[in-house]
Amino acid sequence: MLYVIGLGLGDAKDVTVKGFEIIRKCDRVYLEAYTSVLTVGHETLEKFYGRPVIVADRELVESGADEILAEAEVKKVAFLVVGDPFGATTHTDLVLRAREKGVQVQVVHNASILNAVGCCGLQLYSYGEVVSIPYWIENWEPDSFYDKIATNRERGLHTLCLLDIKVKEPTLESILKRKKDYMPPRFMSVAEAADQLLKIVERKIEAGEKGLAFTGDSLAVGLARVGADDQRIVACSLREMIEADLGPPLHCLVVTGPILHPLEAEYLLQYATDKEKFEEMTKQKESP
Amino acid sequence: MVNFTVDEIRGMMDKKKNIRNMSVIAHVDHGKSTLTDSLVSKAGIIAGAKAGETRFTDTRKDEQERCITIKSTAISMYFELDEKDCVFITNPDQRDKEEKGFLINLIDSPGHVDFSSEVTAALRVTDGALVVVDCVSGVCVQTETVLRQAIAERIKPVLFMNKMDRALLELQLESEDLYQTFQRIVENVNVIIATYSDDDGPMGEVRVDPSKGSVGFGSGLHGWAFTLKQFSEMYAEKFKIDVVKLMNRLWGESFFNPKTKKWSKQKEADNKRSFCMYVLDPIYKVFDCIMNYKKDEAESLLQKLGITLKPEDKDKDGKALLKVVMRTWLPAGEALLQMIAIHLPSPVVAQKYRMEMLYEGPHDDEAALGIKNCDPNAPLMMYVSKMVPTSDKGRFYAFGRVFSGKVCTGMKARIMGPNFTPGKKEDLYEKAIQRTILMMGRYVEAIEDVPSGNICGLVGVDQFLVKTGTITTFKDAHNMKVMKFSVSPVVRVAVEPKNPADLPKLVEGLKRLAKSDPMVQCIIEESGEHIIAGAGELHLEICLKDLEDDHACIPIKKSDPVVSYRETVSEESDQMCLSKSPNKHNRLFMKAQPMPDGLAEDIDNGDVNPRDDFKVRARYLCDKYDYDITEARKIWCFGPDGTGPNILLDCTKGVQYLNEIKDSVVAGFQWAAKEGVLSEENLRGVRFNIYDVTLHADAIHRGGGQIIPTTRRCLYACLLTAAPRLMEPVYLCEIQCPEVAVGGIYGVLNRRRGHVFEELQVAGTPMFVVKAYLPVNESFGFTADLRSNTGGQAFPQCVFDHWQILPGDPTESGTRPFQVVQDTRKRKGLKEGLPDLTSYLDKL
Repeated sequence: MLYVIGLGLGDAKDVTVKGFEIIRKCDRVYLEAYTSVLTVGHETLEKFYGRPVIVADRELVESGADEILAEAEVKKVAFLVVGDPFGATTHTDLVLRAREKGVQVQVVHNASILNAVGCCGLQLYSYGEVVSIPYWIENWEPDSFYDKIATNRERGLHTLCLLDIKVKEPTLESILKRKKDYMPPRFMSVAEAADQLLKIVERKIEAGEKGLAFTGDSLAVGLARVGADDQRIVACSLREMIEADLGPPLHCLVVTGPILHPLEAEYLLQYATDKEKFEEMTKQKESP
Repeated sequence: MVNFTVDEIRGMMDKKKNIRNMSVIAHVDHGKSTLTDSLVSKAGIIAGAKAGETRFTDTRKDEQERCITIKSTAISMYFELDEKDCVFITNPDQRDKEEKGFLINLIDSPGHVDFSSEVTAALRVTDGALVVVDCVSGVCVQTETVLRQAIAERIKPVLFMNKMDRALLELQLESEDLYQTFQRIVENVNVIIATYSDDDGPMGEVRVDPSKGSVGFGSGLHGWAFTLKQFSEMYAEKFKIDVVKLMNRLWGESFFNPKTKKWSKQKEADNKRSFCMYVLDPIYKVFDCIMNYKKDEAESLLQKLGITLKPEDKDKDGKALLKVVMRTWLPAGEALLQMIAIHLPSPVVAQKYRMEMLYEGPHDDEAALGIKNCDPNAPLMMYVSKMVPTSDKGRFYAFGRVFSGKVCTGMKARIMGPNFTPGKKEDLYEKAIQRTILMMGRYVEAIEDVPSGNICGLVGVDQFLVKTGTITTFKDAHNMKVMKFSVSPVVRVAVEPKNPADLPKLVEGLKRLAKSDPMVQCIIEESGEHIIAGAGELHLEICLKDLEDDHACIPIKKSDPVVSYRETVSEESDQMCLSKSPNKHNRLFMKAQPMPDGLAEDIDNGDVNPRDDFKVRARYLCDKYDYDITEARKIWCFGPDGTGPNILLDCTKGVQYLNEIKDSVVAGFQWAAKEGVLSEENLRGVRFNIYDVTLHADAIHRGGGQIIPTTRRCLYACLLTAAPRLMEPVYLCEIQCPEVAVGGIYGVLNRRRGHVFEELQVAGTPMFVVKAYLPVNESFGFTADLRSNTGGQAFPQCVFDHWQILPGDPTESGTRPFQVVQDTRKRKGLKEGLPDLTSYLDKL
């Protein structure tokens, strides 16, 4: 039996009662630790559950899934995912493969950033496609997410940008070797994300593109550690966001739609760094 | 008796029109080094009497013992042209009006094919080449190889027919036969030249022509030589004809009737070929009367020729006297140095047309213009072509040519290795040049600075460069092009120290060895084995000896030599190969197919290369190989190393965000092309087509970590489904021997899977030349085997020629390729057995 259990967003105690009870009686507990992280370490979880917790990195989940499934055929195995189990697309494959092997699967849901982002006051109804912003590296600076943000804004929708985390990723050079070296853990901040977004805009301007989806003056909302006690939210222009320091990870960023609902604006005002300027920005109808 | 000092040389270096940078190239044993000595003796570094006996340029002990040149050596010489000879230089860029002296930088290079890389390195820094051909054996395989390389590098050749003494004394050729021999060699050389260049090319006319004075004749060993210019000068007054006009009459179909005093273009009963009559006959006479001890006749002849012997030479007779007489009459140095000064280009002339071959960057930036104009005031551009060991163990002089600007002691410069790309920091160092030096055979001399157009050495650069590199002061400079070797490192041995504790010394020694030889490769396999790869058995033997004696200084154990193989495919993949990324959201669909015959070679030769304009390239592939033109336009890359003979084509239609994964796919392709699926040998002649790609909706889930390994797995699946094959390297083997030994050669070749494709008699001699293809793998011990089967009469020269498929299916146990794969895998520490298709191929 394989239980895929969402842990929620904040700390160890955000797990649901149902999930908690299942974990307590499982033979083996894996913690998926590469698509997201909790604010507490896995030792805290072990203490809380009273069970040993195996940290599963990307390699184990993606390439070693058969090992997990083989155990699940005969034992009770819990696979813990921060947020909601299906927030990370990778896990659909795990469930598919379990079905193939005839392993029974039960899913326990929980809160995910995809719904918790509602805390900033922007209505969940008005979000478009979600995008991720990857770290740029030498020779790989993808900007396809710009197109998606652009489409969202054209339709008057906000865009939730999930920011890259690298927990235990092999370095590019070591991918080509048998022995793996790993990059130091990195978590993208809203400042870095805003910087990359504006760089893309600059490039588009240089390339002579017109009618850009957003500029440095467009409104953005930065969120950090949503669901934790020290959660922080900041609303300001993208350009100001480059300077923003929201503290430790995880961060995410919302590029707002061109027009805010009055209630959204009112709610968001409490997070504005510069209230006057914020009112100016939301009053003035941005030209699309 | 050094008749020039460093200061004098430094003064000459500024007169760039009066500089000649030249290499001496030839087949092994055609007498380059001996000839070089007669030049050096003229320039005055060693005494004239010793020329021909001491090989000045062979600086190593083993070189002197074996009597072959292993490393190329540079010497600077100074030569003054007479006033009357200056008129022969017509191009104003070839001589400073006020200056009669010439600075000649000469590089003597090895003739044995195994050391061809030394020749390549020598050619890069010179503008002209003295091609030496033994007039008895004629144009040989290595003559052709190096000449071809020279022409490709835009090096202008002049020809010297060496060993005339042998033709006269041993073969006793009649004068007309000797003329025919000369004529044939000139023709052979010109055929090679014409094949690789044409008269309308940027170098102008490259052909050699005795009547123009660009062909010399003589004997390096005896120290005498001449061109038609020398003889023409002797007769000009007598005939009252202009020297240049007379030169034309002294060669070719030109006959003179001494009775009627008439010139004719045809052979008639009572006339004689002018070359024989006026050039060869006097030489024959001298030989005849001295060698047959006709003392009186000899004396009058000497008087006629205006030769006065020194008192101590008067008592000599026979060969010794002949040497003295010929050397006094036709001193080799004088004739050759004149030929060099008149016919070889100055850096000013040569760099104009060589720049585009030398520089990778745009042809109009500061560096390019500096090279083109050979401008000492432009930014520095210097190419380091090789490393020369110093007396200080483990340190090297960086040897190279200044093409633009000046390099001085203490100046700060950018040192760029071959992997440097403009705008990046990789393989780039900014350091001070510790010292600039002049390299003269065995000696070095410190020099303050060296301006453009000259060859010099640098101290302190060796720690930043492996073998070669570019040194510049221009911050936007691109690299100078890396050299292309005509031979490949196809033979390898594994080495280990006899005493395991010596391992660090071995590793350090291997590093030094890699530096000291332009081509040798020192590799550490994943299994931890240390591999040395070289061009052939002899090359490896020398490398190993150097490693043991000079670089590592420890006793070494070595494995039997093995050859490197290539992996290829023989059919198109029998199914569409799918591989999924680790997160299963990205899918690649590809197939492999063999390249059409000739394409891999075209890529090797650079006729098809990644820098071509993609439209021009596509047109070429379409016309020559029937490639679909729209597909051919979408070659993503070549590999391995971005230039190798395998290609990756994008045959997809309308895949969104495909460009975002291109770099990752290319990286995976480079990886797979370097380490094939069978035994991790390089791939060769494989074309991969990407037919479709499914991508994750989000950029973060299709990064290198997901795509690179997937690409490799997919390519491996493609290979395994396309009837994989192994390719082995094959030598072109040229064997010279007398007729009686030919039978023995066939026997040896047959036993070693070799096959003869040409057999002919060298005209005018009893020697036969047999040309054959011989798999490199079968060549170990070939030379010794051949000698013992032909009574020591046959000498082979083997040069890497091509790759050929090793017949048999490597995936079927019991076949030869299967065995090779298993041996290679075992050696490399890979899992034994065959790679499993299911671990690379995913189901939909």
